Amino acid sequence: MSKELKFLVVDDFSTMRRIVKNLLHDLGYMNVTEADDGKTALPVLQQGGIDFLITDWNMPGMAGLDLLKAVRADAKLAKMPVLMLTAEAKREQIIEAAKAGVSGYVIKPFTAETLKEKLDKILATPGAK
Amino acid sequence: MLEAQFGTRLQALGAAMERGDEAAFHTMLDDMLHSRKPALFGELRELTGNLQVALDRFRVDSRLADIAENDMPDARARLAHVLNMTDEAAHKTMDLVERSGPPAERTSKAAAALGPAWLSFRARKISTQDFRALLEQMDVFLPAAQVDAELVRRNLSEVLLTQGYQDLTGQIIRGVMQLVQELETGLVDLTRISSQGVNATLREVKSSHGFGPVVPGVTKGVVASGQTDVDDLLAGLGM
Repeated sequence: MSKELKFLVVDDFSTMRRIVKNLLHDLGYMNVTEADDGKTALPVLQQGGIDFLITDWNMPGMAGLDLLKAVRADAKLAKMPVLMLTAEAKREQIIEAAKAGVSGYVIKPFTAETLKEKLDKILATPGAK
Repeated sequence: MLEAQFGTRLQALGAAMERGDEAAFHTMLDDMLHSRKPALFGELRELTGNLQVALDRFRVDSRLADIAENDMPDARARLAHVLNMTDEAAHKTMDLVERSGPPAERTSKAAAALGPAWLSFRARKISTQDFRALLEQMDVFLPAAQVDAELVRRNLSEVLLTQGYQDLTGQIIRGVMQLVQELETGLVDLTRISSQGVNATLREVKSSHGFGPVVPGVTKGVVASGQTDVDDLLAGLGM
C-alpha cells in the first residue's frame, strides 16, 4: 500500500490525535493532518487531497457519525475510506455506523496491531466504501 | 375606589365608636372582615393554583427529578471509573518505564566494555589474542544490542498507547460536567418558580449524540465487549 497516502485524523482530544499520528508514522504513513471536530474536518476534506479519514464519534460540534454521513453524501468524497476510532461501543451505534457506510470500526482502547490490521483490510479492498 | 367600597361603612364604624356603641361597632367590623374573606381566599386560591400549575409543569419539563434519581448515582460511578483508569494508566506507564531501564543499561554497559579494546584496535596496538577476544565480544554484543533496543522501542510504543486514557477519562469527565450544568439550570429554575412560573426547555437529544466510553455498571443497553465483538457484529452485517 502506498505510504504516500494522506490521512486526516479527527478527534476532539489532542492526546488521541497525537497517539494515532504516531502510530501512523510507525506504520510508514508520514502524511498525516489533524482536525479537532467534524465541523473543522469537513472543509479540509472538501478542499481535497485527503485519501483516508480516521474519525472519533463523540465530538461537540459535529459528531463523527454526521461527518461520515456528510462524506458519503458528497459526490467528491463518497468513496473515501472512513475508519471510526471511538469509545462508542453500543451495538445500535455500531450498526448505525455500518448503515451509514463506515469502512471500519475500532473501539478504544485499541492496540497498534488492531489499527494496522483494520487499515490494511480497508486498503486491500479496491474502491471499498 | 377605596372610598366607594369602604367609605360609608368606615363612617358608620367611626360613628359607632364615637357613640360608644360596642355591639354595633363589633357587628359592623365583623361584617366588613367577613366580606373580605372570600376575596382573600379567592386570591390565595389563585396563587396556589398558579403555583401548582408551575410545579406540575416543572416536574414534567425539568430534568431535576431524573437527575437526582438516575444521573447523580451514575455520575459518582463514572468518576470512580475515571479514578481507576488514571490509576491503571499511571502504573502501566511506570511498569513499562521500569522494564525499559535494564535493557538500555545493558546495551550501554556492553558498549562501554568494548571501548578500550576497540580503541587499541583503532590505534593498531591490539594484540592478536585481544583482537580475537574483541571479535567474540562483538559477536555477542551486536545481536544482544539489537534485541534490547527493540525491546525498549516496543515499550515506548506501549507507553504512547497507554496515554489514550486521557481521551477516555476526558470524555467521561465532560459528560459529568454537562450533568453539573443541567443540575445548575434545574436549581435556578426551581428558585425562580415562585415568581413567574417556569419556562423550562426540554433538553434536545440529538440522534447522533454519543454516549462516551463504557462505564461498568452505568452504561445501559447492549455493548460490544471488545474489538472481536465489534468485528463479529460487522461481519454479521456483511462487512
